[in-house]
Amino acid sequence: MLVGNRAKYLGIVVGLTFASLLITQQSAIFVGLMTRTFGFLTDTALPDIWVMDPKVQYIDDLKPLKETESLRVRSVQGVAWAVPLYKGLLKARLPNGTFQTCNVIGLDDETLIGGPPRMLQGQMADLRRSDAVIVDVVGARGKLASILPDGRRVPMKIGDTMELNDHRAVVVGICQVQRTFQSQPVVYTTFSRATTFSPRERKQMSFVLVKAKPGQDLQTLCRRIRKETGLAAYTRDEFKKITISYYRKYTGIPINFGTTVVLGFIVGIAIAGQTFYNFTLDNLRYFGTLKAMGASDFMLLRMILLQATMVGGIGYGLGVGAASAFGLLSGHTELSFRLPWQLLAFSAIAIMLICAISAALSMWKVIRLEPAVVFKS
Amino acid sequence: MRKYLLPVLSVFGIGFAILTVLTGSKSLPPSQPVVDPGEPPFRSSVAGAGIVEANTENIAIGTIIPGVVSEIHVSVGSRVNAHDPLFKIDDRDLKAQHVIRQTALRVAKANVRVEKAQLDDVKDQLVKAEILSQKKVISADELDRRRYAVQIARARFDRARAEVASVRAQVKETETNLDRVIVRAPCDGKVLQSKIHIGEFAPAGVTQTPLMLFGSTEPLNVRVDVDENDAWRVYPDATAVAFLRGNRNIKTPLKFVRFEPYVIPKKSLTGDSTERVDTRVLQVIYSFERHDLPIFTGQQMDVFIEAPDRATPPGATPQAVGEKTQEAR
Repeated sequence: MLVGNRAKYLGIVVGLTFASLLITQQSAIFVGLMTRTFGFLTDTALPDIWVMDPKVQYIDDLKPLKETESLRVRSVQGVAWAVPLYKGLLKARLPNGTFQTCNVIGLDDETLIGGPPRMLQGQMADLRRSDAVIVDVVGARGKLASILPDGRRVPMKIGDTMELNDHRAVVVGICQVQRTFQSQPVVYTTFSRATTFSPRERKQMSFVLVKAKPGQDLQTLCRRIRKETGLAAYTRDEFKKITISYYRKYTGIPINFGTTVVLGFIVGIAIAGQTFYNFTLDNLRYFGTLKAMGASDFMLLRMILLQATMVGGIGYGLGVGAASAFGLLSGHTELSFRLPWQLLAFSAIAIMLICAISAALSMWKVIRLEPAVVFKS
Repeated sequence: MRKYLLPVLSVFGIGFAILTVLTGSKSLPPSQPVVDPGEPPFRSSVAGAGIVEANTENIAIGTIIPGVVSEIHVSVGSRVNAHDPLFKIDDRDLKAQHVIRQTALRVAKANVRVEKAQLDDVKDQLVKAEILSQKKVISADELDRRRYAVQIARARFDRARAEVASVRAQVKETETNLDRVIVRAPCDGKVLQSKIHIGEFAPAGVTQTPLMLFGSTEPLNVRVDVDENDAWRVYPDATAVAFLRGNRNIKTPLKFVRFEPYVIPKKSLTGDSTERVDTRVLQVIYSFERHDLPIFTGQQMDVFIEAPDRATPPGATPQAVGEKTQEAR
């Protein structure tokens, strides 16, 4: 049996492990990257519907609206509330003089809807103080941290000030948010303050966040908002999809990762298939003997399939285990790693395919085998 | 034993992967609003942003006579009756002028008396001269001169009296000015803002920040901006409710007062003078009783005005819509 030949057994398991690791890990990073593109949407889970300019293609594609549009959206039947949201990139000048572009989010002054999902220090209501901003913890420890002359990094903390577009801003809280695609520090503040920070523009409001009244069908409400205001309205999931499809269409990321996944697949087939086939060839005599002894083709096929399933299972388990370990290790770095269950199923199917193809080659050989081959050599 | 190593490791690997999936799929709960945003109280409504103001509108008090403020009779928030003094511009120069002009009046009056005496004197002389002339003691020429002297004296007397009237008018002018330096309340109301202090110069004319903001605050008015695109849906007799920003429980029903007949460009927060405006808003004025509600002038309120569906054809009144729905039932 296959297990008896240690070199071949190890070879095939390593090959499958490698293929499984490559497929799972690369796909997980790809999924992680794609999740980051709509990280802000994941964070802002309270509103049901996002209203924006009809030409907006993805979440960071900012085409501001007139401020009165939020009143118009609020007037649509079935809308429980509609609040404005500012989103923009502003230059921050840090105390040590360096510049850093920040993702500034302006929340509705009154309700502060759209805030970060988790506050690590301070409170959301502290945004009511003058010049107050809340920064995200990754930004505070990383790009916004000040570097002392001896090279030590001092994270930004509550009470620190920075300049946002020449306006004073005081940090009143540290929050935790999903990392964004561009990995810029995220700065939360109120809408009116964000508009004073931002360069003068005629239109300032990026989005209107809408909550539907209970029992409203979101799709119908979206259509009604579109019809009555002429703006685009998407549910959160729709907007996520639109964002992802933009990145899929206009960046090379999917092709890049897709190539690696396909390579992993091919390598898996090459190693596993070739080793498996070799192994079958080596043991062809025994298969012949079994056949001569009256074993049916079906039985031989089951023998091969059992072995293929076994090595496939072992390789798959080791591969996804290694990929998860990689994810755990890279959890605190800039690398994005996200493993949904669909991905586990996907790599399982891929490994199954590899095994099936390898087994099919061997099975083909065994079925066409003449029992007389035993006596030939 | 060794032959089980790989399968066991593999089972562990799958278990670990499943654990990763489970921990990774957890998502953080959404952040809750700090203040409940509140729902519109009507099935179909028009939303507007309102600002609370006095029912007389906020009156920016100005002064006719520029000068340094010398007295302030009211403090911020005090209730004032119509024509009560609010503040006073320094009037020392006017007082001095008053004294000068009063003295001038006395001089003029004395002058009248002098002229009167002179007139009497020449009159008397004329009478005597006429007698003498009849007795042919003095010549006709002499008599004529006396006669003219009387005419001159009478004219001078008239002039002196006119001068008195003129000086009296001047005194009156100073007195009016002395009254004008006192700025008075135009109506019953409340001092909403006072930006002037004793010793500060109050210029005449329109100032960027009014010297004093004044208005009658019972009842209060709320000025609601409605986007011009929604303006057609607002009817005067529709019910309207205003919610205070920051606490949705503080709300008040509104009573329609009037439409501002002219649709104006929306005031922007940025206040940039070069800003282009492309939104115009219809302003609707509503009034409400303040009672014990902590609502102040100048505060923003969210206003919902009940409105018909967009499906309703324009021009149909809400009553007609009501009748239609009743018929449908």
